Amino acid sequence: MAMPVLATKLFIPRLRPGAVPRPRLVERLREGLQSGRKLTLISAPAGFGKTTLLSEWIADAQRRDPGVRVGWLSLDESDNDPSRFLTYLVGALQRADPGIGSEALPLPLPSFEPALTALINDVARSPQEIILVLDDFQLIEEETIRDALVFLLDHLPSNLHLAIASRSDPLLPVARLRAGGELTELRAADLRFTPDEAAAFLNRMVDLELSADDVAALEARTEGWIAGLQLAALSMRERSDVSGFIQGFTGSNRFVIDYLAEEVLQRQPDHVREFLLRTAILDRLSGPLCDAVTGQKGSSEVLESLERGNLFVVSLDDRRHWYRYHHLFADVLRARLLRDRPDRVAHLHSLASEWHERNNLPEDAVTHALAAGDFGRAARVIEGAIPAIRKSRQDATLLRWLTLLPKDVIDRRPVLGVYRAWSSLASGDVEAVEPRLRVAEKALAATTDDGTPAHDSAAGDELRMLPVTIAVYRAAVAQARGDVAGTREQAQRALDLTEPDDHLGRGAAAGFFGLAAWATGDLKAGVRAFGEARTSLRLAGNLADVLGTTLVLADMLVPLGRLREAQRSFEQALQLAAEQGEPPPQSTADLHVGISELLREQGELPTAVEHLAASEALGEHASSHENRHRWFVAMARIRQAEGDFDAALGLLSTAERLYLRGFFPEVRPIAAMKARIWIAQGRLAEALAWVNDQGLSAADDLTYLREFGHITLARLLIAQHWSDLQKGSIHEALGLLNRLLEAAEAGHRVGSANEILVLQALAHAAQGHTPLALQSLERVLVRAEPEGYVRLFTDEGAPMAVLLQAAAARGIAPNYVGRLSRTFVHGEGATIQPIPEALSERELHVLRLLATELSGPQIARELYVSLNTLRTHTRHIFGKLEVNSRPAAVLRAEALGLIQHLV
Amino acid sequence: MSERNPMPCGHGRLDRYEIRLQGQLDESWSDWFEGFTLANESDGTTTLTGPVTDQAALHGLLRRVGNLGVTLISVNVLRSRQP
Repeated sequence: MAMPVLATKLFIPRLRPGAVPRPRLVERLREGLQSGRKLTLISAPAGFGKTTLLSEWIADAQRRDPGVRVGWLSLDESDNDPSRFLTYLVGALQRADPGIGSEALPLPLPSFEPALTALINDVARSPQEIILVLDDFQLIEEETIRDALVFLLDHLPSNLHLAIASRSDPLLPVARLRAGGELTELRAADLRFTPDEAAAFLNRMVDLELSADDVAALEARTEGWIAGLQLAALSMRERSDVSGFIQGFTGSNRFVIDYLAEEVLQRQPDHVREFLLRTAILDRLSGPLCDAVTGQKGSSEVLESLERGNLFVVSLDDRRHWYRYHHLFADVLRARLLRDRPDRVAHLHSLASEWHERNNLPEDAVTHALAAGDFGRAARVIEGAIPAIRKSRQDATLLRWLTLLPKDVIDRRPVLGVYRAWSSLASGDVEAVEPRLRVAEKALAATTDDGTPAHDSAAGDELRMLPVTIAVYRAAVAQARGDVAGTREQAQRALDLTEPDDHLGRGAAAGFFGLAAWATGDLKAGVRAFGEARTSLRLAGNLADVLGTTLVLADMLVPLGRLREAQRSFEQALQLAAEQGEPPPQSTADLHVGISELLREQGELPTAVEHLAASEALGEHASSHENRHRWFVAMARIRQAEGDFDAALGLLSTAERLYLRGFFPEVRPIAAMKARIWIAQGRLAEALAWVNDQGLSAADDLTYLREFGHITLARLLIAQHWSDLQKGSIHEALGLLNRLLEAAEAGHRVGSANEILVLQALAHAAQGHTPLALQSLERVLVRAEPEGYVRLFTDEGAPMAVLLQAAAARGIAPNYVGRLSRTFVHGEGATIQPIPEALSERELHVLRLLATELSGPQIARELYVSLNTLRTHTRHIFGKLEVNSRPAAVLRAEALGLIQHLV
Repeated sequence: MSERNPMPCGHGRLDRYEIRLQGQLDESWSDWFEGFTLANESDGTTTLTGPVTDQAALHGLLRRVGNLGVTLISVNVLRSRQP
C-alpha cells in the first residue's frame, strides 16, 4: 500500500457559473495583494462563501496578471501530522512552480525550520508571483504546524502571498500583522450578502422574480448568511406557493439550517434522500465509493445531478470524479443519519473502510474502521500500511492511530506492539520502550494448543523480521542511554538473528555495532562494522544510506590516520552517486564536504574550496539534516588555514546552530573547535572558560569521546605557558599529552597520535628542549608523510616553521620537510633569512633569558627592570626576528646561532 | 439544587454543561450533540444540557454548534445539579 498525495486536496475550486459576483470584496483582496501585504485572512463560520470568494479573487488576479501562480491546499483533520502537512504544502507550491522543493525533503523532521528554510529559498528563487491558499485552516490544531506558519510569515519571500480561510480565527500573530498593515481581513460581517446581492442571488437561483419584500424578509431571516439563502432558494424552486414558504420560514423560530435542510431534503426523491444520508459519512465522494456504501449502482450520475442541482456538492477535480459535500450540509446530513438510522452508521463506515482498503487508500480505510468501532479491522489495515507509512515518515499519523486502538488489540499484534515501542523511542520516551517490547515479544512467542501462533499479526516480512527489529530497537535504546556494552550486545543479537538475505536488518545491526565501537574509541572495529553495514545496505539497494555510511567510515578513518583510504571511499561514493544521474541522491553534497576536509588537510585549499562550492551548488536537498553543519565546519577550517580567524569563528557559530544530535557520537565538538581558534588568537580567557565549563582537566581519565576536548586543553596549557609563562602549565601539558598519546596508540588512532605528537614537539620546544621536540616531530613526520598530511603542521604557524627548519638542518625527512616548509604562507618563516637589523647586547641578554623556563616577572627581576620595560624589549626582539611568539623567537634565535641551546 | 451531593447516575467527575443557543432546534439533533438533551425555551432559545468528559470534548461540542451557523448565547457549568 502506498500513501498517495491526493490530488483532490490541491485542486483549485472552479468558480461556479452563475455565482453572484462580489466586486466589492474582490477589490479589497486585490488591493491587499497589490500593496504587498503578507496575509489575507478570511475568517467566518461555515456557509459564508469563503471558498467561493477565494476562487473568484484568484480568477480575477490571474485574469489581470497571467503570470500569477496559485498553490491551493484544502486541509483536513489528518493534516495535523507535520510530515503530511509539509508534503502537501510542497505539493501545493509545486502546482505554482514545479521547481519548488522538487527533490524529496529529508524526513522525518527534527524541526520544521531547515525544511521550511529550503522551501522558502526555493520560493524566493522562483520567478513567479505565487498565492498560496490554505482553505479550512480551522482544522489545524497541531502547534508545530502553527509554529511553521509563523516562521513562514516571518520569512515570507516578497513573491509569495499567503491566504487563509478559516471558520475560526487562527492562532497566528494576526494582531501583529494587523497592526503592521500586513493583513487583509474579511470577516462574517463583510461576507454577508447585502440586500442587493441577496436579490441577485435568489433571482438567479430560483428563476423567478421575487418581490423586494420577499427578498428583504429572507435576507433578514438569514442575516445575509449565504448558505441559508441557498437552502431557501432550493426550497422555493419549482414550488407553486413561494409566498407561503417565505411566510412559514420567516415566521419560524427554528434554526435556519434545521428548518431549511428539512425542506430541501423533503423535496428530494426517495432514492436521492437515501443516497444523501448514507453517503453523509464520507469526507470525499466518488461514484464507485458511493456505489459500495449505498449498495446501489449509478452513484456517479447521482453525484453529477446533485452538482448540477446546486445541492451543496463541491467538485474536487476537473474530471467529475471526486466530490465532497459542503461542510455545513454534511453536518446536517450526518445529524439526520444519526437520528433516522443510528443502527446503520457503523455498517456504513465498515463498507467505506472496505472500499478504501481495496483501493489502496489505507488512511481512509483506517479512519472508517475506527469510526465503525471495528478495531480489529483498523489494526489489520494499519499493520499492512506500516511499511508505507514509515517510508513516507508520517510518524504522527501512525502515533495517532496507535493511541486510538484499544490496548488489548495492540497487545495481540506483536507487529503493532513493536511499533508502539518504536513510537515511544521516536518521541524520546526511552523508558517506555522496553516494557512494550516485552509485551510484543510475549505475544510473538505465544502459541495455541495446536502449536499455531496465538497472536493476530499477519504472516509476512514484517512479522518474520520482528525479532531482528526488536533487537535493533533495544540497541537503539542502549545507544540512547550511552550504554555501549548493551548496544554492542543487542546489535550482535540482531546480527545473529538476521537471515542472510535480510540486508536491511544486517545493515542496521552492523551499524549499531559500529556505533558502539566508535563510542569506545575502538575505531578499527567500527570501520569493520560500518564496512559491513555499507555492503548490506548496497545489497538492499538503499543508496542514500550507502552514501551516508561512507561519511561515517571517513569519520573513523581520519582519526585512524588513514586519509588515503578515506579519500578513496569518498571518490567511489561520488562515482556511485554520479551513476544515479539527476537528481543527485541525498548525501551527495555531504560527500563533497567530506572530501573537501581531506583535501584541506593535504594542503589543497583551492580544490577543497571547489568541492565546497560543488556541495553548495547541489543544494540542501542533496544533504541530510544531521550533516548540514559540516559544510560550515569545513569552510571554517579553510578560513582558519588562511588566517582569517574571525570568519572561521562566524562559520563555526553557524555550524553550531545547525548541529543536530543524531545517533553519531560527538567526537569533534564545534565548541572545542571555537576554543582552538580563540587559543590561536590569544583569547585564552575565553578558551579557559570553555574548558572549565566542560569540566576538563589534565588529570581526567581519558576516553575517546573526550579526546578532542583534552587535546584542546593541551593546546590551551601550552599557550598559557607563553602568555604569562605560568609556572607549571607546560608540565601539565606534557603530562596530559603523554597520557593522550598512550591512549591513542592503544586504540590504533594514528591520526589522533599525529596531532598529539605535534603538540608534544611544540611543548618541548616551548621549554627550549629542541632535541626532545625533534624526536617527537620525527615520529610524526615518518607516519604523516605517506598519508600526505600538510595542515597538521602548517596550521601551527611560526613555532612549527622554526621547528621544521631545525629538523631540516638535521636531515630529518628532508623531502617532506622541504615540501611542508614551502607551503607555509608568507611571513611564517619558510626560509631563514638573515635578520635585517642586529639585536643589541641588552636584547641578546633578554633573548637568552627567554630561552629558559623563567616566567616574565622572574626575567624582569633578573634584569632589574619593570615588567613593562621587559615587554618593550621583547617587542623589539620579536620585531627584529620577525616572529610573534616567545617559542618562535627562541627557535629562530637558535637557528640563527644567536643563542646556544641548553638542554 | 444542592451543593452537597455529587452528581447522580455514576457520572463520577464528569461536569454537566448547559449551552444556550439562539433559535430553536428539535430533539432529533440530540445524537449529533453527543447525547445532550435539547429543550426549546419560551424565549425562542434552545438549551443543550449534558455531561462533558473534559475541556477538549466541550470545545469539540462548541465547534459543532459553530459549524451550524448558530449564535451561541451562553455556556454554563452545572457542577452538582440534582434532578
